[in-house]
Amino acid sequence: MANMILHDPNVFSETLFKKMKRINPGILDLELYEFCYCLVDLLPVKGWASVVLDSRNEIEKRFNTREYYDGIQIKPKQGERVVLDAPIILLAQMLFVGLVTGEYPPEWIDRHFYFDIRGFYFLHRTEYFTAGVRAHLGGRPYKNFEQKQKRFERLQAVGYKDFMKANAEVDELFTESMKKIIAFRGTPILLAIAGPTAAGKTEIVERLRTAFKQAGQKVTSIELDNFLTDRDEREAKGIHSEGRPALHFELFKQSLEDITHGKKVSIPYYNSVNGTSSHNLDGSLKPDGVPIEIEPADIIFMEGNFPFLERDVLHLIGVKVVYLTDDPIRLKRKWKRDIDYRKKYDPSYFRNRFFKDQFIMAQIAYLPQMETCDMTVDTTGAALWTTPEIADILREVK
Amino acid sequence: MASMHKFPKQQPHGAATTADDFSIRLFEVMKRINEGIEDLELYEFRYALDNLIPEAGWDAVTLEGQEEIEQRIRSRDFYTGIQLRPRAGGRIVLDESIVCLNRILFAGLASGAYPEKWIQALFYFDLRGFYFVPRTVYFTEEVRTHFGNKPYRCFEAKQKRFERYQELGYKDFKEANAEIDQAFIDCVKEVIRARGSPMLITLAGPTAAGKTEITERLMAAIQEMGRKVTTIEVDHFLLDREYRDDKPMGRESSHFDLFLGSLKAILKGEKISIPRYDFVNATSSHDINSKLKAGCTPLEIEPADIIFMEGNFPFHMPEISSLIGLIVVYLTDDPIRLKRKWKRDIDYRKKYDPAYFRNRFFRTQFLRGEDIYRPLMKGCDIVVDTTGATLWVTPELVDILNLD
Repeated sequence: MANMILHDPNVFSETLFKKMKRINPGILDLELYEFCYCLVDLLPVKGWASVVLDSRNEIEKRFNTREYYDGIQIKPKQGERVVLDAPIILLAQMLFVGLVTGEYPPEWIDRHFYFDIRGFYFLHRTEYFTAGVRAHLGGRPYKNFEQKQKRFERLQAVGYKDFMKANAEVDELFTESMKKIIAFRGTPILLAIAGPTAAGKTEIVERLRTAFKQAGQKVTSIELDNFLTDRDEREAKGIHSEGRPALHFELFKQSLEDITHGKKVSIPYYNSVNGTSSHNLDGSLKPDGVPIEIEPADIIFMEGNFPFLERDVLHLIGVKVVYLTDDPIRLKRKWKRDIDYRKKYDPSYFRNRFFKDQFIMAQIAYLPQMETCDMTVDTTGAALWTTPEIADILREVK
Repeated sequence: MASMHKFPKQQPHGAATTADDFSIRLFEVMKRINEGIEDLELYEFRYALDNLIPEAGWDAVTLEGQEEIEQRIRSRDFYTGIQLRPRAGGRIVLDESIVCLNRILFAGLASGAYPEKWIQALFYFDLRGFYFVPRTVYFTEEVRTHFGNKPYRCFEAKQKRFERYQELGYKDFKEANAEIDQAFIDCVKEVIRARGSPMLITLAGPTAAGKTEITERLMAAIQEMGRKVTTIEVDHFLLDREYRDDKPMGRESSHFDLFLGSLKAILKGEKISIPRYDFVNATSSHDINSKLKAGCTPLEIEPADIIFMEGNFPFHMPEISSLIGLIVVYLTDDPIRLKRKWKRDIDYRKKYDPAYFRNRFFRTQFLRGEDIYRPLMKGCDIVVDTTGATLWVTPELVDILNLD
């Protein structure tokens, strides 16, 4: 029976179509036609019967090692076109076959992977709430709400309005909590909000700004990216990170110190089009460089993806927040933003890169920041997590 | 560390204000042009608009007269001049003349120079593509006259609600067309009953109009009547690519006599043996003299009651149209087809670069309308307009249908 299914592509498609409805209920909204249009791209050259299944143990191990993700190519080409990278295709093929033959239970697939409909591929679920993170954040959420992002699971695309509505409760508690902490710690204060791509950072920062301004506070921001040194210099030295070696670090540290002491600061300007900084490597202004002047303010947002990865500036930051949204939702948001709206990426390049980056970024940036943050907002879990110290402050301030 | 190519928003001079003001104004106007914009946050609107900001700012856009614009979008040259794969910085981008037209329309809308009603009459705005596309006219005077100036059946236009959608799935589309599709299927069944078989049926229609789906349902319905159904894929009659010199499907680019002969034979209830076209190598099983090449096998087609002809042959050629029992054009309006095609060919099949896709859709609808669909519509038997939810039947066919 199983054999027949694997040898007849039409029977395979129909069987898989039924079983995939359990993995992602969004498949229920598709006609078999539509499903087959997508599946064609993943059909193995030698047929479904040629796919060799790895054991579940092997798979689990592979998807928790950095090397696997390092090995993913983001622009493999077939002729002129960027295509999905071979290991990503192989994973989808294995899971499809394992699901159809019953070798992999749907619960097991669901626990380790999610299936994105538009991308039409499986991705590993990144774990953010590790034991270390939970311990740092008091073992359980400070407060949680109804998980309204649940209904996005079956959607192919998520817009900004729906996303904002779904997060209303946790966002509101977060905003109130920020106000309390600021009241407790006093101003000027530096706020840093980190979070993976398309988690909703820009929007929440915008809402916080508005809330603070309405409360009569002066708000400004400092973008970490403006402290980047000339791209040529970094490339010559083989610096590909945005950590300390890539930055005018002394200027950065001094600027943070000055602004938290209520001083006006003058920071470098990084032109990302030309890849040039207004400042020389030694931190002096270039003859034609124009710095950015930042007036003193009560609340200063530090913007960037890794605002508190650098331990030397941790003590200067008043509140450190990680704003988190689960990978499946971020993928849909990012697709809408960067492909539908901005038309910035080739979809295959985008799929490869998203597949590759989430695990790596969690390891090098988000987990370390979660382990040192004051608060984590988990929009998908609709939960606010705080350190015990912050929880005390929140209970104390009325 | 994976690099993050983010643009610092903070700049030395607060230069971006004009662009911001412009986008706020345009955002409000655009909500009336396409209601789907109401579902967007200003953020999202700006992400899309950013790609179209003129280098010298919105103030630098010179508006054109309304008549000038109307003339341009009705001239063939405008469309043939559109490049499908113009490149900038290694990437395919939107064609310059499309960008230019869109900037003019945006600027004219934001300043109030162009009436919104005028824009809406001539263009539709696609949200995902984030561009204005001229509306193709299918129902010309001639076409209306051919159908006695009124549709045979009218239903509620349920595709209306798709106007504000960014994307459109097959299920929603099918549901919206349930009534008109059923009326069409019933109509075809009546014609079969009245005219008998064997009968040749062709179903033409622009890309993503829904041909595959309706053909499948129609075939099932005819089989339920107890009739045997088969298909002839017209493309199998193509000559080797090297003999075609890019000529469109027609007398000179096909095994034309063989084609006519095959149609006549299958209409007599005979089994036919037709050329087999290899779509990968672009070669036919038959040589230029329509003789089977050595080592090639033809396609065998068993006799059937109803024979569907699939493909884009110019079926209105008199020698052919006289053999076809029923010529149908299955039509869906451009804005809906664009959404369907985007979903199918970009989301699902991942077949096209979105910029290439946008250029091509913009370019081809007008040209195809002029070259293929309008000529076909004024000579065909039935037009199914799924968007208008109207069924158009020629007066001669109406007489047949009203016999019962």
